[in-house]
Order: sequence, then structure tokens, then C-alpha cells
Amino acid sequence: MDVLDDIQFYVMNCHHYADIPADDGRFASSWVDMPNTEFDPLRGHAMYERYTRELKLVEELGYDAIGLNEHHNTPFSLMPSPSVRAGHVIASTERIKIMVAGIPLNLSMPNRVAEEYAMLDVMSGGRMEFGFPLGTGMEYWSNAAQADPVTARARFREGLDVVLKAWTQPGPQRYEGEHYFYRYLNIWPRPYQQPRPKIYIMGGGSPETVDVAVDFDAGYSVVFTPIPVQLRAFESLREKCAARGRELAPEDIMLTAMVYVADSDEEAEREGRPYMERFFSWFHRVPPKYLTPPGYVTRANFERLTSSAALAASQESSWDDMRAIGRIAIGSPDTVASTISDWAREAGSSRVMLNMTHADMSESMTVRNLTLFANEVIPRIRARAAVAS
Amino acid sequence: MTAYSERRLELGGVEIALHEAGEGEPLLFLHGAGTATGFDSLLPLAEHFRLIVPHHPGFGSSADDTAIRSVHDYERHYLDLLDVLGIASFSLVGHSMGGWIAATLAVSQGARISDLVLAAPWGLNVPEHPTVDLFSVAEAEVPGYLTADLSVFAGKVPNPPTAAFLADRYREQTSAARLLWRHTYDPSLARWLHRIQARTLLLWGELDRVLPVGQLPVWRSLLAHADELILPGVGHLLFDESTQATAAIVEHARRPVAR
Repeated sequence: MDVLDDIQFYVMNCHHYADIPADDGRFASSWVDMPNTEFDPLRGHAMYERYTRELKLVEELGYDAIGLNEHHNTPFSLMPSPSVRAGHVIASTERIKIMVAGIPLNLSMPNRVAEEYAMLDVMSGGRMEFGFPLGTGMEYWSNAAQADPVTARARFREGLDVVLKAWTQPGPQRYEGEHYFYRYLNIWPRPYQQPRPKIYIMGGGSPETVDVAVDFDAGYSVVFTPIPVQLRAFESLREKCAARGRELAPEDIMLTAMVYVADSDEEAEREGRPYMERFFSWFHRVPPKYLTPPGYVTRANFERLTSSAALAASQESSWDDMRAIGRIAIGSPDTVASTISDWAREAGSSRVMLNMTHADMSESMTVRNLTLFANEVIPRIRARAAVAS
Repeated sequence: MTAYSERRLELGGVEIALHEAGEGEPLLFLHGAGTATGFDSLLPLAEHFRLIVPHHPGFGSSADDTAIRSVHDYERHYLDLLDVLGIASFSLVGHSMGGWIAATLAVSQGARISDLVLAAPWGLNVPEHPTVDLFSVAEAEVPGYLTADLSVFAGKVPNPPTAAFLADRYREQTSAARLLWRHTYDPSLARWLHRIQARTLLLWGELDRVLPVGQLPVWRSLLAHADELILPGVGHLLFDESTQATAAIVEHARRPVAR
């Protein structure tokens, strides 16, 4: 079976605070310690309104899902609480799936995440999917230090266990773990979708997060990792699942891609590339220290991760580096359709999360990008599936 | 001068590196949250004591111990070590994070500790002279916080730092974070310091930018028997910066005091 037969397109909108400050060289980081005096609430309100219009358009254009995520202390994201945003998006749309991907469990209490997510699922009539991230290193600098990065991975596993038990096992139940203890785990409401909504682990390609996806019967998505590392992670996931007798479905692997479409390759690169470069140079301006708080990675991974993370963060990273890390698909409808079809087949994936609003890109450019992809690229990809089968 | 002999032993399934030099009454030295500059500066103590310098679990050449989650786990770890070494009575010196562990050990082990030295110890909440949270300090500025004399790093710290050196520091920061990430002080320490019976020397660098010397009077007010020595012109790495630091330890241990 061709993965393109059932390919679905998700549109992630990170809700950037799109105004890049004048003389942004003043700021060594746009995360963690970026002064919030640079945030203008009136501009912020206008941006929420704009992103709501974009997300409504995403539904009108026939995309399969909307993606929302969580970050803190940064103009990268106006969504420190994606559940709050999802509640509003549910009310602003009719049928489209919404993927919250998602609350880092360690920054909340897992029962609260389970019940918030169940609430969204019931309110939306079962339109929800959820991605579970460990949380970037930056989130551990930005939240209460009681969310300790040294024990983060162990608590993440246990927190996920709490969420899944809360969703799928009848309550009340008693849960005694190493990190969490519930006398009465008994969430109201329970999820609308039975036995539970589809979940993905949002990882960086590390063996630890791949193992979580295997152990919890979850899908897997890799963000901000060079393509070869992504492919190795998917391959490792496939092997580990097979060893347990689980056949990984194409829908269990989610690709993320940064996309810009225009009438020709030249036009797309001329128009889109400066925004994608500013995405890396401003919205992903992160000193290595913030990427790896103490204990967030092992000593062995520290060297590897700091170099690849520095690459992702670096203002000096080359366009080719960016293209590999962000899976940047840029060009004419033919070029983008071909690029994404190849990536999906190579990764064995039928779920593609698209970033279509880049850096300080205007609403009109975003609308054109969304429209061209929906009207010109998606039909070309589906046509390839039809030809192949 | 005497040199260290190194040996490795296992405590609770975790391999620990132990550096020893000299003979006589045992002196246990508990180091701070980093081992980058080594411990040769302590060797003058070996002329007078059986100097014992263990690397904490997760530091230097000791293995990691994920069971260590609190200062009391360190306390029990060192009680295990003292049992294995067959040491009943000893002098105890702790520097920085090791000073906090030493104070904690001294709270519970009163009679066993013949002499206690707390060198720029971490652990008290002194709002007028707050502890600098080194996790929040930009990496490039950390050396200037640690010492008033950057030449102490010469020949000990690669310049520019190698990837392996940085990874070693990251590992030690991780081990330190097991204790220090959540607070810049121990909220319950002040409550129990009165239980320390040993006569205690508070040893401090005048120019300490991590644990300001303004914290010293608060320690003194909470301890039953405290002497003090402030080393002029010296920062947080007082053993690396001044030979007076070890000399003061010897002098304090030798000083006849009615008990």
C-alpha cells in the first residue's frame, strides 16, 4: 500500500508574536529571558484574531487538521496554554480535527492534562488528537524549578501512564507511582473517542522518546532534527515495534515540514526564503545552555545534541542545514508536491504536519500559501497516489 | 610534597573514586559542585592529617548515582564511606555544596567530628546577601564568579574548552542540579544548625561572588561554637586561590580549646 493513499495534512500554527523588534541584535535569545516588555497586548490581540481567521481558512480549504502547541517565555509562541486556544478553535470551526501537541506533562499535573484533554474531546465531539512532548529545554528554565530537568524523562513516562490510565481505565482508581500518587484518579469528563484519542510522542529523535512511543503504543513525530536523524528514529521505532509484534501504520509516523508555495521555484524562493531564514535567526534564537538544562540529556548525548541543536539555533546555519532540519519544502506546486511525496514515502508516513505561517510573514502571504497548497499541491500529491495504485 | 594515591571502592553498587594522602588523624574533605581544578591545593593538609578526598557520586571519576536526590542521601552515602573505611572520629571540611553536606553530617554526627571547617558553605537563605544561582549566570561569566583570580584555571582548564571538558562540566552540573536546581538554599537547614557540637571554623573569601561573605555572620549566629577567618582578596575557590586556606584548617584543628 502506498502511504499517499491515505495521506492527511495538518496545519500547525505556532502563533508567533510576529513583530520582530527593531535592532533585534540586542537580544541574545528570543526564549526564556526575552523581556516581556517587548510584548504589546494590543498587537497580541490583533494576532490572535488574525490566527483565528487563518485557522478558519484552513478548515474551509479542506485540510484535515489544525495543530496547536505550547511554549513559554518567548515570542515564538502566543500559546503557553494550547488547551485554552483549542477551546476557542473548537468553537470557531465545524468539522476539522484539532491536534494539541501539546502540554509538556511535567509542567502540569497529569490528571489535569487528562481531564483538560478529555474536556476538549467531548466539547468537540471527538475531533481531538494529542501530541505529548517532553518539553524543550527552554521550558524547564521558564517554569517552576520544581519541574526538575534531571528527573524529567522519568516523570514524563509516569505522567503519560497516568493520562492513559485516567482515559482508558474505569475510575476511581488508585495510582501509586514514584513521582505521582493519586488516591482517587477519576476524571470527569472521560474522552469522547473510545477507547481514547489518537496520540503521538513529540520527540527529537532520541532513543528515549522512541522507547516511550513503543511502550505506550503511540505514534511518533520528530521536530527540529536533521532529516537523516529523523529517518533513523523512524527506522528504530519500526524495528522496536516489530519486536513487540506491533506493526507500525503509516498514520503512526508524523512528518513535520515548513512549506512555501508560489507559482514558480524562483518566485517561491525569492518570496519565502527570507521569512524562513528569519524563523531560524529570530524565532529560534536559543543559546545552547537553554536547549540543554542540567540533566535534560545524558553526558553522552550532550556533545551530539549541542552541536545539532546549535545548528538549529544558529544564525549562521546554512540554508541547506535549515532545509534539512526544518524539512523545508519550497517551490512551485510541482516541486512541493514531489518533495513532500518523496519524504512521506521515504519515512513511511501518511501524516504531514505543515508549518505555513513563517516568522513575520503577512496574513495575505500566508493566505496565498495556504490556498496554493490546498488547491494546487494536495491534488498533485493525491494524483500521484492514484497513479501509483 | 606528598602525592595522592587513588583507589576505587563500591558503595551501594556505585563505584566511588577516593584520593588519599598523608597519615594521622583522618580529615574528610567534601568538595563543591565541580572538580575541574582538582585537589592538589589541599595537599598541604596531608602533612598533618590522613587526607581523604572522595569524589561525590556524579562528579570527577566517581560513577553516577541516581538514587541521590537530597542532601540526606549524601549524608548517608558518607556514613557508608566512613563505615567502610572504619573511621569513628574525624575532622571534616566541606567547601561550597560540600559545606552544606558537611554541615548536615555534623548536625547528626555531633560527637564523631573532632573539628569542623565550613568553607564558603552553601545552604542558608540570607536575603540581604543572596546566594548567586550559577545556573542563571551566562556561561562565559561563570569563571569570574567562581574566583577573584582567573589564573587559578591556568594549566587545569583547557582554553578554549574542549567538547569533552564541557561534557564533563555538564555532567557535574547535572549531579549538582539533583540538589541545587529547586532552591538556592536549604529551607530546613537553619532550624537544625544548633545541633552541631564540633567547634567550627567558618572560612570565607572576602571577594566571594557566589556565596557572599555577608552570609558568614548568619552562620555564626546559628552555630554553638564558631570561629571565623575571612581571606582577603580571595573569591569562592578559596583553596585554589590562597595557601592560607589549608593553613587555617591546620591551625584551627591544632588550637587548644577547652571543650
